[in-house]
Amino acid sequence: MAMVSAATPGPKPSQTRRPGERPHDAVSTRVVLAMQGVTKSYPNGRVALRGVDLIVPEGDFVFLVGPSGAGKSTVIKLLIRDEVPTKGVVLLDGRDLARLKRRDVPRIRRKIGIVFQDFKLLPNKTVRDNVAFALEVTGARRRDIDPAVDRVLQVVGLTGQANQLPGQLSGGEQQRTAIARALVHNPRLFIADEPTGNLDPLISWEIIQLLLRINDLGVTVLMATHNAEVVTAVRKRVVALENGRIVRDQTGAAYHRED
Amino acid sequence: MISFVAFSLRRAWQGFWRNGLMSLAATATVVLMLALLAGLIILLTGLDATLDYVQQEVQVVAYVKDSATAQDISGLEASLQRMPQVTQVNFVSKDQAYRDFLARHPDEADVIESLPTNPLPASLQINLRDPNDYLDVAGYLNGQPAVDRVMNIQQTVDQLVTVIGILRIGGTVILIVVGLIVLFTIVNTIRLAVVARADEIEIMRLVGASDAFIRWPFIFEGAFVGLLGAAITIGLLFLGQGPITSFLSDYFKVLPVEASATVGQNVALIVLGAGAGIGVLGSYLSVRSYLIR
Repeated sequence: MAMVSAATPGPKPSQTRRPGERPHDAVSTRVVLAMQGVTKSYPNGRVALRGVDLIVPEGDFVFLVGPSGAGKSTVIKLLIRDEVPTKGVVLLDGRDLARLKRRDVPRIRRKIGIVFQDFKLLPNKTVRDNVAFALEVTGARRRDIDPAVDRVLQVVGLTGQANQLPGQLSGGEQQRTAIARALVHNPRLFIADEPTGNLDPLISWEIIQLLLRINDLGVTVLMATHNAEVVTAVRKRVVALENGRIVRDQTGAAYHRED
Repeated sequence: MISFVAFSLRRAWQGFWRNGLMSLAATATVVLMLALLAGLIILLTGLDATLDYVQQEVQVVAYVKDSATAQDISGLEASLQRMPQVTQVNFVSKDQAYRDFLARHPDEADVIESLPTNPLPASLQINLRDPNDYLDVAGYLNGQPAVDRVMNIQQTVDQLVTVIGILRIGGTVILIVVGLIVLFTIVNTIRLAVVARADEIEIMRLVGASDAFIRWPFIFEGAFVGLLGAAITIGLLFLGQGPITSFLSDYFKVLPVEASATVGQNVALIVLGAGAGIGVLGSYLSVRSYLIR
């Protein structure tokens, strides 16, 4: 994927892609994520999703919205294969997640970068080490780690803070560290689960700008959020969940139904 | 592969010191248990040597009638020597028995010297390959006309074999119990370490670390605990070598000094193996139940 080699986020991703990679436009019809008739009920009887169909083509930017308990978290758990659907199929990059062998689960998770509301950084590691950790624990070669970390720190604009600890950073910088860590594997799908939930509006806006830039670089982004202001302002595809069903799937929509 | 091992070792080392107090407590338990293990091994080795010694010494003693002729006796000797159970046959004549008695009991020399004739019978002393064959040989001898009677030491042999058998089973049971206690201690320690690193493990899972990367640092950490415990135990045994050796030779009398060097080496190897093994097994179990949820 082209994005990590970008020194500065360019407007045209095709200019920064490496040899041998397919141009952004040519793969735009490829499907990164497909959910078909997905129902998920938990052992306690609660039905979190009911017959959800969702197709996300490569390069898409999707807001996943809906009230608490609508099923957003369950969708994310299914995508990272923390859960398997009770019924239906979840395909990530063409692979049926429910049929993965146990030992293949880590491999598929490397195709996903994920950030959360609470950042999930390791407080005793520097920004650089937090990002490098994702590569270390997946068996990257030592000499490959530093350049890769440098690249993603540049993308999120944290080169200057590389040697600081998370406690010394602002909330926005912490989230950007988490984003860098999620990007360092060149993910096929970038998931942001309420990434701005702990941030004030101005900083939230910076994070959204960063996610949009990452999307411009060719990475498919799925963002679950409550932030109506952002969703309405950005005018990207909005998938709304309610009671475990998709009640709306519109491009360029506002957070609330415009009817 | 090298980076995986280096990563795991580095993390194990950090983990050991991060939970310093717990790790030291676990190490101390390991030391305690390994010392017990070593003590049991030393004790059982001594008992085994005693058993070997006693078994070698088990003889069938048959008293020969005074009326038996030299031909009867040599015939009997020859037929005994043909028996597969028999390793050696010694004939002790009346005179020899008399001299042996005097040598053993010099205080009672005047008693026996006052007797008009030598009351001691001649005997055949038969060494056995296996003390369990005692009855076969004794039965054969009882049927011989030249034999007066066969000394009944069957009971003594039986008792000795029983006692040593019980000690061996008892020792093994104690070892198993002790091993389980150590296992639980290590499982607990490593589980605490796992819980302390729950955040890291969660991140590792999210970024797609394979189970091996999550598991092996903890297994190495358990191995550290086990090996450190083993090293301390061996150090303690080395310091206590003098008293242990004199205990072995004083108490069991039969253990040759050369043997105790080999015993020491074996004990050291077993302690190392048991320490590492139990550390690895304990952490494997505790991480396994954590990973498979």
